[in-house]
Amino acid sequence: MTDHYLTLKQVSVRRHQSLLLSGIDLRVSKNEFVGVIGPNGAGKTTLLNVIAGFEKFSGALSLFGEAQTWRRPRQTRLRVGYVPQLLQIDPGFPILARQAVMTGAVGRLGLFRKPGKQEYENTLRLMDMMRVAHLADRPLGQLSGGERQKVSLARAIVQKPDLLLLDEPTANLDIAVQKEVLKLIDEISEREALTILFVTHDFNMLPERMRRAVMLKGGLKVFDGKISAALTGNELSRVFEYPLETFERNGKRFICYG
Amino acid sequence: MVESILQTLSYAPIQRALAACILCGASCALLSVFVVLMKMPLIGVSMSHAAFAGAVLGMLLDINPFVSGFILCLLTAAVLGPLSDRADMAPENLLGILFSFLMGVAFLGMGILTQTKAGALNLMWGSLLTLSNNDLYVLALVTLVLTVFIVLFFKEIRVVLFSRRLAASSGVPERVIYYILLFMTGAVVSSNLATVGGLLIFALLVQPGAVALQLTYNLKSFFLISAATGILACFLGLVASYVFDIPSGASVVLAATVLFALAFVFSPKRRVVRPIERKIQDENDRR
Ligand SMILES: Nc1ncnc2c1ncn2[C@@H]1O[C@H](COP(=O)(O)OP(=O)(O)O)[C@@H](O)[C@H]1O
Ligand SMILES: [Mg+2]
Repeated sequence: MTDHYLTLKQVSVRRHQSLLLSGIDLRVSKNEFVGVIGPNGAGKTTLLNVIAGFEKFSGALSLFGEAQTWRRPRQTRLRVGYVPQLLQIDPGFPILARQAVMTGAVGRLGLFRKPGKQEYENTLRLMDMMRVAHLADRPLGQLSGGERQKVSLARAIVQKPDLLLLDEPTANLDIAVQKEVLKLIDEISEREALTILFVTHDFNMLPERMRRAVMLKGGLKVFDGKISAALTGNELSRVFEYPLETFERNGKRFICYG
Repeated sequence: MVESILQTLSYAPIQRALAACILCGASCALLSVFVVLMKMPLIGVSMSHAAFAGAVLGMLLDINPFVSGFILCLLTAAVLGPLSDRADMAPENLLGILFSFLMGVAFLGMGILTQTKAGALNLMWGSLLTLSNNDLYVLALVTLVLTVFIVLFFKEIRVVLFSRRLAASSGVPERVIYYILLFMTGAVVSSNLATVGGLLIFALLVQPGAVALQLTYNLKSFFLISAATGILACFLGLVASYVFDIPSGASVVLAATVLFALAFVFSPKRRVVRPIERKIQDENDRR
């Protein structure tokens, strides 16, 4: 019944005497689409890793109303989907694109159960939605960065998560593909009724459904509010330590740097 | 001709040698799939050195060398496992230190042993021809358990090989799988001290998987090709050792290398698909 899907209270991550995250407070409600924005090294990936349960932390974190540490039960992990910044794989690795997508369903199936018709249909449906159905029988290692990123998204959705964590899903892609992937993310967020945390350092490439921004800098949360309030020259210049200006055109706001 | 082959096959020592080839080749080669795809050759080396050192110590202390080798493997796995879980440290350096330390222990033991027991040398390169019944039983059991593990957890294994992190994120018990794997590594290398020995086993932990990597994109075939390569390498090596009267461990390793060279040269995966062909292929795929 709890409204807060995700709550962090004074979450810190320390590694080798340095604080990668310090005292982060965050509440995310169901169906929110939150951007986590900040310069390189701000701690964005670390924050996602804490939420995904890959990283030890101090402070309190609760998911779906239950307190969690970095070790968590399978049932909780199943509800959190994760798309890494880069799906790294050797070109010769023995896995086809559709098998890679299917790996998302393995945890949900549990031990000793083979994927059935439903899992296969789901896999194909999502690959279709991500416009990679024609690549289903290609070795994953041979796909381009953009194609692989779409496969990676489909993989995360096959898992049927409630909360989706995206770590710079459009970095390393060229502009047209970035736009396409952003559109796909908008689409899934709507269709699958997901709660999304979207990490990025590119404030010109944001999905439309993203309404809220959390900005990080040096492991601290320095902004939390409406995306329109975040995307101002003042706010961004402060966070990115670089003079930035915004201008509007056709009702859209653009950020430019000198 | 056929009769003479059949007759040869009916000799008990020949049958035992064939069984040894199959078991040694299959167990090492199945494991090599993990070693190659998870890029953990250094873990393979460390474990085989641990088995070797443990077995030498076992001889010194009058313990069954398989048991002491296995125990030292498990201790090594207990150090390696958590190490590879830590993101903040490249384990390569520590692995290097660990395996040279184990090598030192092994050679120290060898130095003390050679004056008393000549059999210790066998731990270094083993012998496919002189296995005891016990050696064979242990090897058969280990191979069986490894095969069952791979068959039962095939879909989980695929995810873990693909990415441990993604496996963890989607609710696959990847740590359990990984630790079973380390445990199986210990069992395979220590039970194969008798067949190819602690120094040469490393070749069989890498080459068969490397052969499969040249030949297939299908994980099931990957395991099968790897196992077949391992068995064939053992068999060819054994025949060569008999014909040319050379140590079987060495000839097995050389046979494995020849198989790898062949796979590398004839690899269909290395044939480059030119962009235009790729495009046509894509359009055909779409239809
Ligand atoms: N393995 C590590 N050991 C120590 N510091 C690290 C390690 N990985 C990352 N860091 C540091 O942690 C900070 C935050 O990293 P990260 O969360 O990856 O930043 P972001 O994703 O925002 O670019 C950076 O300053 C980085 O240098
Ligand atoms: Mg990052």
